[in-house]
Amino acid sequence: MGKSRRKDKVIPPPQLPPEVREEEIEFSDEDVKYVEENKEYARFVSRIDTTAINRQCVGEPKTVEDKYEEERSKKKGHEEERESNEIQVDPVDVLPIKDLDGKLHYRTVTKKSKLAEADPEEAEEDVLEDEHILNKSQRRAKAKKSKKEAKKQEKEVPKEEIIQEEETPQAAVLAEVKEELSAEETFENKKNRLAELGIQLLSDPEANIRSLKEMLDISKDENAKIVKLCLLSVLAVFKDIIPGYRIRLPTEKELEMKVSKEVKKTRFYESTLLKAYKSYLQKLMAFERQSEYNQVANRCICTLLDAKPHFNYRDNLLSAVVRNISSPDEVVRRLCCSTVRSLFSNEGKHGGELTVQAVRLIADQVKSQNCQLHPNSIEVFMSIRFDEDIGKRDREEANKKKFKKNDKRNNQEEQNQVQENERKKSKREMMSKIRDEVNADYKGVTYEPDAMERLKMQTTYFRILRKTMYSIGESSTEEEDTTLNPGAFGPHPLLAPCLDGLAKFTQQLDLDYIGDLMNYLKKLAPSSSVSTNSKKKNSKLLTVSERLRCCLVAFKVMRSNLNALNVDLQDFFVQLYNLLLEYRPGRDSGEVLAESLKIMLCDDRHQDMQKAAAFVKRLSTFALCFGCAESMSALVTVKNLLQRNVKCRNLLENDAGGGSVSGSIAKYQPYATDPNLSGAFASVLWELNLLTKHYHPAISTMAGSISNMNTSQNQTFLCSDPQQAFADYSLVKESFEPKNESRKLSNKRKRESGGEEGKDVPEIDMGELRKKLKENFTILRGIKEDESVRMELEFKKKKKPTKKQSNVAKKKPKSPKSKKKI
Amino acid sequence: MRPLDENETTVVFEKIFKFVGNNLKNIVENPSHEGPESDPGRYCFRLQKNRVYYASESLPGLPRDLHREVHPRGSFHLTIMSLNLLAANAKHKVWLKPTSEMSFLYGNHVLKGGLGRITDSIVPGDGVVVFSMSDVPLGFGIAAKSTQDCRKLDPNGIVVLHQADIESI
Repeated sequence: MGKSRRKDKVIPPPQLPPEVREEEIEFSDEDVKYVEENKEYARFVSRIDTTAINRQCVGEPKTVEDKYEEERSKKKGHEEERESNEIQVDPVDVLPIKDLDGKLHYRTVTKKSKLAEADPEEAEEDVLEDEHILNKSQRRAKAKKSKKEAKKQEKEVPKEEIIQEEETPQAAVLAEVKEELSAEETFENKKNRLAELGIQLLSDPEANIRSLKEMLDISKDENAKIVKLCLLSVLAVFKDIIPGYRIRLPTEKELEMKVSKEVKKTRFYESTLLKAYKSYLQKLMAFERQSEYNQVANRCICTLLDAKPHFNYRDNLLSAVVRNISSPDEVVRRLCCSTVRSLFSNEGKHGGELTVQAVRLIADQVKSQNCQLHPNSIEVFMSIRFDEDIGKRDREEANKKKFKKNDKRNNQEEQNQVQENERKKSKREMMSKIRDEVNADYKGVTYEPDAMERLKMQTTYFRILRKTMYSIGESSTEEEDTTLNPGAFGPHPLLAPCLDGLAKFTQQLDLDYIGDLMNYLKKLAPSSSVSTNSKKKNSKLLTVSERLRCCLVAFKVMRSNLNALNVDLQDFFVQLYNLLLEYRPGRDSGEVLAESLKIMLCDDRHQDMQKAAAFVKRLSTFALCFGCAESMSALVTVKNLLQRNVKCRNLLENDAGGGSVSGSIAKYQPYATDPNLSGAFASVLWELNLLTKHYHPAISTMAGSISNMNTSQNQTFLCSDPQQAFADYSLVKESFEPKNESRKLSNKRKRESGGEEGKDVPEIDMGELRKKLKENFTILRGIKEDESVRMELEFKKKKKPTKKQSNVAKKKPKSPKSKKKI
Repeated sequence: MRPLDENETTVVFEKIFKFVGNNLKNIVENPSHEGPESDPGRYCFRLQKNRVYYASESLPGLPRDLHREVHPRGSFHLTIMSLNLLAANAKHKVWLKPTSEMSFLYGNHVLKGGLGRITDSIVPGDGVVVFSMSDVPLGFGIAAKSTQDCRKLDPNGIVVLHQADIESI
């Protein structure tokens, strides 16, 4: 603030004390003491050139400040002075030293000395007063990998003030000096220039708005680094300058009106700002296309959008960001995704409109790219917040509007609505009138996104999901592989996040849509009865994890709609049954399996007996084949099923015929595709017996408890969740002292690859193995040695008489044995 | 007792297909585990006195299983005796709540309010086997509505048209 004041006003020379003759001056003791104590500070008094001062007081104001500057610099010591000299490269900021003789020394001299030194390491940019800017410029500098030393120079303050005044006279000098400087010097010049402009703008944006243009001009430079630096510094400036409201340029009418100076000033400021912003954005867009500046430009765009999503031109920014949301360059993509995510979560900044737009743009992109996008682009949707009770009031209006917004692409597709409940509707109508008034007031006050907008957004979101599902479904049912070219992201990249999104937002799905969804899911996860078409290539079938996810989604959707009807998803059970056979721990995701087990089998309230028995049997076989985690989750599921379906406990009894419950199938078919026809009741759970001898103590105890379920008195429910069991046991190393740290980790982190668990197994086993092998081999070696010795002795004994031979022979075998015992 | 001729076979199979779907081949090709012989043949259909019997090949004289009735005009009805076979291979099942079991056994149709569970993807006109909650087959019928429509139905809507139940045995 002091600076500005000084800039505007011309500082008058101070009033000199009244003329007193030297002889007449009397010094008091205090004075003397004071001077002696503060000799340093008083030094300047001795050095005052009275004649010079006299001249100066009458003369130009410049020189006084010069003097001040000189003296202050002397006060602080020579070193700093020199530093300041060396720092000041650009003649514009350099002060001409006026020495006591009255000559003006331009700082070019020191520059030449600097040239001689050729020391590029001097601090240039960090001659900034403002700490804030300091950090930014440091960041800039580091980001562009230029070598700088961080130094703080407070003396910039006085120099700054003088810069303004001395700009014009220095212009000529500037031209001279530039020719002499090397390229490096220009580089550093420009950096300095940028920094100064930045500070000016930030300190008083209204007055210095024109400097923006100059800054932008620097970006037309040839040097790539300078351009990047310029872009970033302008970004920093804009981030701070841009107001919290959207600028609306005054209309013609308003321009004609007479307005006060203040308003004029503001208008001018706003219009310049807007123009500059516009040109900046245009530059950014242009630069984005060039591969050199791509990352920088993208970073600028993302930061701008993130920081000021309410400002003008945000649509352009948004479209640029969304365009890059699937870029093959990982840095750019991550940036854009995080920006979009933050947009979704911080809806207060932009009032929800941007969310709608973003969703719409992403939908368009999905469509245009034919679903060949990176999964991250859809994963951003997981951060959208959905309100369930949206638009209760406006429900009827919404209905009408939606009938107009029909999806042109597919006529079968039905409207999306938030889930309706008949009872709620009637209640709503009653309360709607009261609510209207309240909400109108509320809306006026808060910045809450409009209910209609949110509905639109949600419909768009589901539209995207539907499109992707549909296209994937289409491609997988086609016979010829013409359209589906696995792009950079694999054949069905968007399926997984799509399904995740559906699973998360099942509450919002309309009943009609659910029917469609189920059909798609059935197509995607073909059960044996459907995929009889032998022409289908194996590559079309989705991976096991994806199919598991389909089943999972189907069940979650069903579960959330239980109030309507309890539907038994036969096909998906069959699918799960078959997937159990296809599962492989390294390749497929164990958590999805555990989750699907949990949701489909454990949480289900009622199970078909045959089906349950079939699953029990297959799961126990499954538990034998895989590592600890899968076995544990399988066993937990088995226990759950057995506890719930009492009749299935026939499997625990040694009743081979199956008794009355078995139905028409007399023999167990282990490879049957349909659980109902597997004849599980005709089998016995002999696997449990094997599992009780499992190396892991938990599994063996669990198997034991299941076997004793019929006879045991108390039926305690421990570890009733296969998903949790999987998580717990996947990280626990297979030593016999389970580690507590890994348990805590496993509870927090859900995304653990089951493959890691597989890695653990050989590690620890190797330790045990080694010990055992060691012992074994020592024994073997001992035996071999003894044998060889025996052979030798026998050989020798052949020559000697027999008696001794027999005695010796008897003794020999004993000795190696005694060795063994040790 | 003679084996069925072609027309009759098609009619029978069609009818069974409604209830059983692709599991029909299980019925037809099911290896027989009845009879004294160690290498049993399959089950087959035999006609006697206007009734179709599902018998084991090894025992032509002893029709073991369930029968269906052939109407003189040539159409084919499934009787309740075939319930065992149908229930094991049924494609579409409906489970009844305990309260509505008795109602069904007295010959009433199944209402939506009495439904405990229902298999997915039921098309109107499909054969449906009715079970109790403890998985005891109670009878069978024809679906009146698809599963989707069932959801939107009011609780007194008819879901399954009653055809036969075990009360009549």
